[in-house]
Amino acid sequence: MTLATQDDAARAGGFANKMRVLLSVSELGVLVAVIAISLIFYSIAPAFLSAQNIRAIINFVSFVGIIAIGQTVLLIGGEFDLSVGSIAGLSACVTAMLMKDAHLPIFVAIIGGLLLGAAVGLVNGLVVVKLKIPAFIQTLGMLFIGQGLIQVVTGGNPVYPLPESVGNFGATRVIFGLGWSFIFFFIAGLIADFVLRRTVLGRNLYATGGNVEVARLVGINASLYKICAFVFVSVMASISGMFVMADLASGITSIGTGWELTVIAGVVVGGVSLFGGAGTIVGGLLGMLLLQVIQSGLVVIGVGANWQQIAVGTIMVLAVGLDLLRRRVFIGGEGAPSGNGPDAAVAVDPPAIVPAAAAD
Amino acid sequence: MSDETAIRTIGIAKSFAGVPALRGVDFSVRRGEIHALLGQNGAGKSTLVKILNGVHRAGSYKGSILLGDKDVSFRSPLAARAEGVGYVPQEIEVLEQLSVAENVFAGHTGLGRGVLLNRRLLNKRTEALFAELGLAINPRSLVAMLTAAQRHLVMIARALSMRPKVLMLDEPTASLSGAEVDQLFAVLRRLKAQGTTMIYITHRLPEVMAICDRATILRDGRVVAEIDRADFNEERIIYAMSGQKLQRLYPHHAAPTQSEVLLSVRDLSVEGRIGVHRRISGINFEVRAGEILGLVGLLGSGRTEILHAIYGRIPCSGNVKVANHDGPIRSISDARRAGIALLTEDRKRDGLLFNLPVGGNITIGNLEKFAHHQLVSRTNESKAVVQAMRALNVKARSPQASVAHLSGGNQQKLLFARVLMNGPRVLLLDEPTKGVDAATRHEIYRLITELADKGVALVIVASELEEVIGLSDRCVVVADGRQVDEFQRGERDEEQVLRIIAAAQAELTGQTALRTGVAT
Ligand SMILES: Nc1ncnc2c1ncn2[C@@H]1O[C@H](COP(=O)(O)OP(=O)(O)OP(=O)(O)O)[C@@H](O)[C@H]1O
Ligand SMILES: [Mg+2]
Repeated sequence: MTLATQDDAARAGGFANKMRVLLSVSELGVLVAVIAISLIFYSIAPAFLSAQNIRAIINFVSFVGIIAIGQTVLLIGGEFDLSVGSIAGLSACVTAMLMKDAHLPIFVAIIGGLLLGAAVGLVNGLVVVKLKIPAFIQTLGMLFIGQGLIQVVTGGNPVYPLPESVGNFGATRVIFGLGWSFIFFFIAGLIADFVLRRTVLGRNLYATGGNVEVARLVGINASLYKICAFVFVSVMASISGMFVMADLASGITSIGTGWELTVIAGVVVGGVSLFGGAGTIVGGLLGMLLLQVIQSGLVVIGVGANWQQIAVGTIMVLAVGLDLLRRRVFIGGEGAPSGNGPDAAVAVDPPAIVPAAAAD
Repeated sequence: MSDETAIRTIGIAKSFAGVPALRGVDFSVRRGEIHALLGQNGAGKSTLVKILNGVHRAGSYKGSILLGDKDVSFRSPLAARAEGVGYVPQEIEVLEQLSVAENVFAGHTGLGRGVLLNRRLLNKRTEALFAELGLAINPRSLVAMLTAAQRHLVMIARALSMRPKVLMLDEPTASLSGAEVDQLFAVLRRLKAQGTTMIYITHRLPEVMAICDRATILRDGRVVAEIDRADFNEERIIYAMSGQKLQRLYPHHAAPTQSEVLLSVRDLSVEGRIGVHRRISGINFEVRAGEILGLVGLLGSGRTEILHAIYGRIPCSGNVKVANHDGPIRSISDARRAGIALLTEDRKRDGLLFNLPVGGNITIGNLEKFAHHQLVSRTNESKAVVQAMRALNVKARSPQASVAHLSGGNQQKLLFARVLMNGPRVLLLDEPTKGVDAATRHEIYRLITELADKGVALVIVASELEEVIGLSDRCVVVADGRQVDEFQRGERDEEQVLRIIAAAQAELTGQTALRTGVAT
């Protein structure tokens, strides 16, 4: 190789490296997609970016996003939970009944709902970790159990009226016409992001999701991490359910129905790996936003509900495919086919799938 | 052997994202010879054979390959196989949930009728192949149950099942010990007699002397020397690889005789679990501060299980005690709290975290050291990482690089850095020099003796008998999960140890034969 070509290679490499750094921030890719798709919808139907519609989107993203924070944490730890929707509904209904039928003080009723959520999460965690039943089976079972329990405890009827202050709390607009659910979502997201990025706890969780055996060997109590992540996602689901309850000023049996898939689809679109050990809170939440923007946009431009489902499904499969590709190249390192020179390396080289903080 | 070339490369150059790994390699192998490809960690050996095997596809590199007189460029490993090129990769790549036979014949067709697999035929063919290779592995057992070394043997058998004309072996002996190496050599000699051409990568120079006809030496992606068998000479080869003069001597170390006993193992026994780990029983030894104890034994003799039992990774009975630590050691966290650290042998399965970068892989498990109230200080952490990487000479593009793209030896050094980060008092090393080049190997020996001088108690398992004996102050010999002998430095040589092991095994099989004889 002559000097000149070596120089060229170095320069191309420099450029390739820059490109890779850009692409490796998978959050950025999702953010770009959110903006681009929003602009497309806006150009078709300007009403899409009306204050009212934006508020509606953010409102919904807040409710499901609270759960998505928990689900992202659990996915990074290498497991997932399909029962979050049921837990949200069950906690909401039980809390509502504790207030209305048991006449407990609101505060006590909320504690009751949270404890219920924590208990369900603990059961999920113990069964998966200790009895080694796959999370898919256990949490799918819990999804049905939760649905059944909701019908059993409520008799299928909505629980209302609730104390007036609950409805008032739900109707309070704190900032930009957004309620407390948004505030909670935002702060919880910030905290979770910080914990995952910067703390020992977060890094150990990535290790647990990356390879449980290695995590155990370096002294991490991987089982405890997983169980706690299950409890965390359940408690977040309970909180989300209660916010919806306050928003509606009643405990309705359909709260949370179908959310488990919305949440998993969203965070996976945002780059959280289904196979554990990779992804970020910011990515997961941007993914939720992207899916919601698309659904809402399709409504605004007048596309039927069936087509919305088709769009969401397609996007999810694409996102998981991308994740698989990333992982294959990443883990297959030695054996994986390599790209054609510096340019292809951009596409082939896996993005750093761990937050920059974990890298240094 | 003839003067005809079997495979030849002209000006092969390959970069990864602008960083060159090979810079114009002209390499030629004569028909029917065993050709050693040597070089330090990261010199580009694996990259070169991957190009010759279509793992790095045609078009991803510059230069050309001649197979015989034919200009070839492989689009995939499959294409290379069709041309009679076989390959045993450096890292273990097996399908864990399939049987040994299915692994050996993975990718073959025509075993059975149409899409239906004829299992009987498959097992029979595998048995025949193993008999030819002298392997004692049951074709029906699951690969998940095999040890790292046995998996490697399965991979070698897989490559041979294709009856390749040119066979490339990337560090095939890294996890094999004396007897298995001899076995493998016998196979390679037979293949050579049948006219197979072989490219053989290794870091063990005695192997080169024993079996190779010629050697090509790479340094930083360039060919720096081509040596014929007549001119083989360890010093010259090491000099060509590293540009430094090095002797293959073990650093001087004398164990203190009166120091405190740091690790004491009493009546250690492990119930065997078929397919998970073998049974060991009645292991007793002590290790003093500053002492290096070697566990000597053949592959599958229970050496690894002893280390894992001490580390609390597998349930055991008996007593493991560490000085200044109250209570027995029953779990990994007990062991770590007592100051025990373990370097595992299988990098891919029990070592690396592929979702974390180089830096994160080094510090995982020791993050508390860089944290205030759980908050990791990035500056302290990256300082420690850079320091550790420099101390062990880990060659990586940066602490943020992916571990999957490090060369094998550098992955090993990285894991070593992780284990040392904890400042252990008792260090258990399972194959510490696996896949490490001569210069680094020497550094690791020096590191081990330095640690001993600082008062660390070390227990070492290595498949190279000569290495354990040369490095250890005292050796415990294990055979079939039992302790059969113990000797001080200088009291026995390799041959004597092998004889002891053979005698112990003969006795044990004699006993079992007797017992079964009585039973029937
Ligand atoms: N897929 C890859 N992506 C990026 N860099 C790579 C990749 N594969 C290898 N490299 C780099 O290329 C160089 C040569 O690596 P190679 O694996 O060929 O070394 P080696 O001679 O086989 O070393 P060892 O003896 O340690 O196995 C190293 O610096 C390595 O980091
Ligand atoms: Mg290599």
